[in-house]
Amino acid sequence: MIAFEHVGKRYGGRFEALADVNFRLSRGEMVFLTGHSGAGKSSVLKLLTCLERPSRGRIVVAGHDLGRLGNAQIPFYRRQLGVVFQNHQLLFDRSVFENVALPLSIQGFTADEVARRVRAALDKVGLLHREKALPIELSGGEQQRIGIARAVVHKPALLLADEPTGNLDPQLSADIMRLFEDFNRIGTTVLIASHDLALIARLKHRVLRLREGRLVGDEGMGS
Amino acid sequence: MKKGRRTHQGARNQQSSFERQRLAWQAHHRQTARDALHRLKQRPIGTAMTLMAIAVALVLPAALWLLLGSAQVLDRNLSDTAQLTVYMTPSASDADASSLLERVRARDDVSSVTLVTPEQGLEQFQKTLGLGDALSGLDKNPLPAALIVKPVTQTPEAVSALSLALKQMPKVDEAQVDMQWLERLKQLSTLGQRVVLSFGALFALGVILIVGNTIRLSVENRREEIEVITLIGATHAFVRRPFLYSGAWLGLGGGIASLILLAAGMAWLSAPLTALAESYGGQWAVPSLGFEGSLFLLIVSTLLGWLGAFIAVGRHLSHMTPK
Repeated sequence: MIAFEHVGKRYGGRFEALADVNFRLSRGEMVFLTGHSGAGKSSVLKLLTCLERPSRGRIVVAGHDLGRLGNAQIPFYRRQLGVVFQNHQLLFDRSVFENVALPLSIQGFTADEVARRVRAALDKVGLLHREKALPIELSGGEQQRIGIARAVVHKPALLLADEPTGNLDPQLSADIMRLFEDFNRIGTTVLIASHDLALIARLKHRVLRLREGRLVGDEGMGS
Repeated sequence: MKKGRRTHQGARNQQSSFERQRLAWQAHHRQTARDALHRLKQRPIGTAMTLMAIAVALVLPAALWLLLGSAQVLDRNLSDTAQLTVYMTPSASDADASSLLERVRARDDVSSVTLVTPEQGLEQFQKTLGLGDALSGLDKNPLPAALIVKPVTQTPEAVSALSLALKQMPKVDEAQVDMQWLERLKQLSTLGQRVVLSFGALFALGVILIVGNTIRLSVENRREEIEVITLIGATHAFVRRPFLYSGAWLGLGGGIASLILLAAGMAWLSAPLTALAESYGGQWAVPSLGFEGSLFLLIVSTLLGWLGAFIAVGRHLSHMTPK
């Protein structure tokens, strides 16, 4: 599903955010990406979402060589991903329903199809009854679950999450992680960047460890 | 056979899914246009100021164009009345006058000609100058016979060629045509057109800048939203669309406002202008853009708004390509 081959990323020609990173994720895997801030976690995610291009090496995701993807193709590549942000990035001037519907309206689904899928996604994260609410009326955990619903509403093959539990207490964090495990169980490949080591240790999934832009650990393969 | 049916059904499903996509796309456009209008209504003062700025920028060239248009009508009327006056020598007899009249009438480039005998000339002179009996004191009529000649072709070149030919004829003293002011009027009209065109271009740029700046601000306000939808797979066209609709709405609204301003301005000017025209014995209709002109103005202003928005969003989007 994901292949990093000798990937390097430099900023401004000097600072090396990633150096010779190699790893592979198979379809259906659930993997954590850890490391201190500045270790390169967000660089990996920016490369995977095509926000940045690698300075060296090759990244292949679901058959797409990201270095060779033209600017016009990027939106269509991104539609195959689901992205969960640390601060959930909901649009506060729209209802929960409209937020979750966003990927579908971008992809040109009809109104009834949108409604069906949005309700299904909201149901999965347990917030079907809040569809008319505004994001501001929800708690932090609920907002994050809406963010996840938006990331999975178009049934992506690959789910990426950047510190999805960053601002949540341990109980809520565990709930969120269980949600990711649910999606993984139905076949979605999941990659979660997180520094919540205690939580990761309890979950017993494969863990990729970054330090100063290098991959220094790949544990728990085939868990 | 079973396979055949399935293929057929597949084709139909595909077609209907294409149809569904098209309907969804149309619905999305309608929704985006409505949203854009709604957002403009949410900031009534800012929107009104932008609309007025656009209207002012459009009114100036449009008003100039209207005034130029009526000046051209005037110019055409004057050209139509272009005529030459051929003065015969004082020694010419009545017989000379009528033979000249026949010769001039026979020319191809003359549409009509009338003879003004010295007596008629004196009469007219007395009437127009209001001198009354003052001239009757003269023992001899000082005026020569004259021919008023209307040329077939009204262009300055043809008229001056005709005047030259008439001057060569026997017993002709002078063929007069006031060509200079006609040509000056033509040159002025050409100048006027260019002035209107260059003002039009400048103010069109003004409209683009006004809309561009307004849209740039709303892009700044919605920066986060743009980042989010771009990251979940929105194409540049999708990101641009609401702003293009806003720009087009602003352009259209500004165009409508400018039509209102223009009509009001022309109504205000019409009374004194008509009075002025009448005092010169002329007729002057209040110029208006008419249906086609108004439609043209609205289309142009809408396109300018759209273009301003396109440029403003394009600048933002160009910063968002991956590096």
